Amino acid sequence: MTIELALFAKFSARHPVPGAGRSARPYSVPECTTVGQLIGDLGLADELRITFVNGRHADDELVLAQGDRVAVFPPVAGG
Amino acid sequence: MSDIMRVDMSTLEIKREPLPERWVDFGGRALTSAIVFEEIPADADPLGPANKLIFAPGTFGGTTAPNGGRLSIGAKSPLTGGIKESNVGGQLAHTLSRLGIAGIIFEGAANDGLYSLVLEADGSAKLERSDAWKGLNNYDLAEKIKATRPDGDRFATASVGQAGEALLSSASIAVTDPKGIPNRHAGRGGLGAVMASKGLKAVIASDKGLGGVVHADKDAFNVATRKFATALREHPVTGEGLPTYGTQVLTNIINEAGGYPTRNFQAGQFEFAEALSGENMREMTIERGGNVKHGCHTGCVIQCSRYWVDKDGDYKTKGMEYESVWSLGANCGIGDLDDVGELDRMCGDIGVDTMEMGAAMAVYMESGAIEFGDTKGALKALAQVGTGTEVGTTLGNGAEAVGLKYGVARIPVVKHQAMAAYDPRPIQGIGVTYATTPQGADHTAGYAITANILGVGGTVDPLSPVGQVGLSQALQIATAMLDAMGLCIFVAFAVLDKPEAFEAICEMATAHTGKNWSADDLMLLGKKVLTYERLFNGKAGFTNADDRLPGYMYTEKLPPHNVVFTVPDAELDTLFDFVAETAAGMGIA
Repeated sequence: MTIELALFAKFSARHPVPGAGRSARPYSVPECTTVGQLIGDLGLADELRITFVNGRHADDELVLAQGDRVAVFPPVAGG
Repeated sequence: MSDIMRVDMSTLEIKREPLPERWVDFGGRALTSAIVFEEIPADADPLGPANKLIFAPGTFGGTTAPNGGRLSIGAKSPLTGGIKESNVGGQLAHTLSRLGIAGIIFEGAANDGLYSLVLEADGSAKLERSDAWKGLNNYDLAEKIKATRPDGDRFATASVGQAGEALLSSASIAVTDPKGIPNRHAGRGGLGAVMASKGLKAVIASDKGLGGVVHADKDAFNVATRKFATALREHPVTGEGLPTYGTQVLTNIINEAGGYPTRNFQAGQFEFAEALSGENMREMTIERGGNVKHGCHTGCVIQCSRYWVDKDGDYKTKGMEYESVWSLGANCGIGDLDDVGELDRMCGDIGVDTMEMGAAMAVYMESGAIEFGDTKGALKALAQVGTGTEVGTTLGNGAEAVGLKYGVARIPVVKHQAMAAYDPRPIQGIGVTYATTPQGADHTAGYAITANILGVGGTVDPLSPVGQVGLSQALQIATAMLDAMGLCIFVAFAVLDKPEAFEAICEMATAHTGKNWSADDLMLLGKKVLTYERLFNGKAGFTNADDRLPGYMYTEKLPPHNVVFTVPDAELDTLFDFVAETAAGMGIA
């Protein structure tokens, strides 16, 4: 199945789609992939991070569905 | 020993007196709010002689405490009609502390003309006529001031531009950064108008040749500062995210969460967020040869400040903060950082709060006077602020003034002050802070974005009403304490996650003052600050009915999550339950 994947700040260089930068790009993952499995595949398992699926915070156990938008951020704050 | 300096603008007399015993534990916001509560009649006209304007460095002012150089400026606000503490970086707090000043209280109002308060490193103080500076904006004024100072001087200033002189409710007070550039602003609440109403154009303070302040236990203080600095450097936000991208790092994540107010709070995501983002701003700034990392005051170890430069690499304005890029950008439908930089520069020069101005401009755009996204129209309107035109005066008096004048129903304010860069519908914790803080809709008063969005200090579902009041209450108390200490509130990101950071604050306060400060003592200090503020507002006529968001935020669903604000009123009304007991302990009512 295909999801939309966006990686921000220092993670943007890890986007598996060449030239994606911080843009969301379609990305193929196996059916029933969890957030945690995706993060592991991206090589981010050991990184502190904040993960959103469709604009909501997502745990690693969440099973992704076709068309989901996944966005991953390193720890950020400001304001 | 620190003194209170009283500057009577009516008689032009200056007096120094020892800090009264009852205020000896108070710095920064604790001192400004105590003085506002004790000395300003709650029914005072904010722009009349009965109001007072107080400058107070925090407890750590003049020390090497990491990020300990914030300045609190207090008064009754012409924007909110309630108590105000407007917090600003820059060098002035450290300078005042090195001069032995715990607080300056400006009283009365000049009968005619403009004045500057000039404080010399030898301890002398005088009011000088500044009529020749009438109408000057902050950048030109900074050059004029510099020309009056001896070569090699080390000085800091506070000043107002044409918006302040025009007594507009969004007028800011500009403070110079470590390079002497007047680009740090006490923006919120119109305190620039209070300053100008007294006939005060500038404060000029030199600490040339002066060392740091005296500590009760210097060695212990140095140990504690190292512990605190290490904690700040080790935390991923204060040690990496903020130094790398500045506050602008928030743009993409708040947009992702659907809480990035767009086109006057009509949507929670902006299609050009990436163009405005901190990542993009960093890349553009580096490409143009600009600075992307420095502190707004000496002793800052977080270093989230930067300078924004134009396409030729020339300084334009300070690196725009997240709140400014949002307000002048997405909230106005503008998606270009150079356009935002022009607007930010103009706001800084004429001296207005970028948040209030961006919110006001967006309401103006919604009225149809100009289109969303019309940068040229926005610049043309903004240039009129402080010049006396109808549009300029209305914009300069803030978002609510614009909405009332031009017939716009959606006005994103609480207690007459505009909200910041987080829509309270999908981020309900910040909605609680907007609604309840005595300051008007001020995100910094209880920055619930931490647990709601950023996973700092725990997690609280931003879309649910559950747990938001407790979160906001704890943050409001802690923030009031940090503001009293003179610490940058960004240290909270580390303090919330690392116990040793909070311990270090206790240890620094104890070693510096000689009085034992426990964690409970610090939290009680925060409660005392809020108690002064809550009681003052009560005397000024505020009730629980003022602790509410605008009505449309309870009924109009915000895309993309299509949610409204759902924290019950009755729960909001419990946030200040501690005030009665705290007030009794303080012997005030």
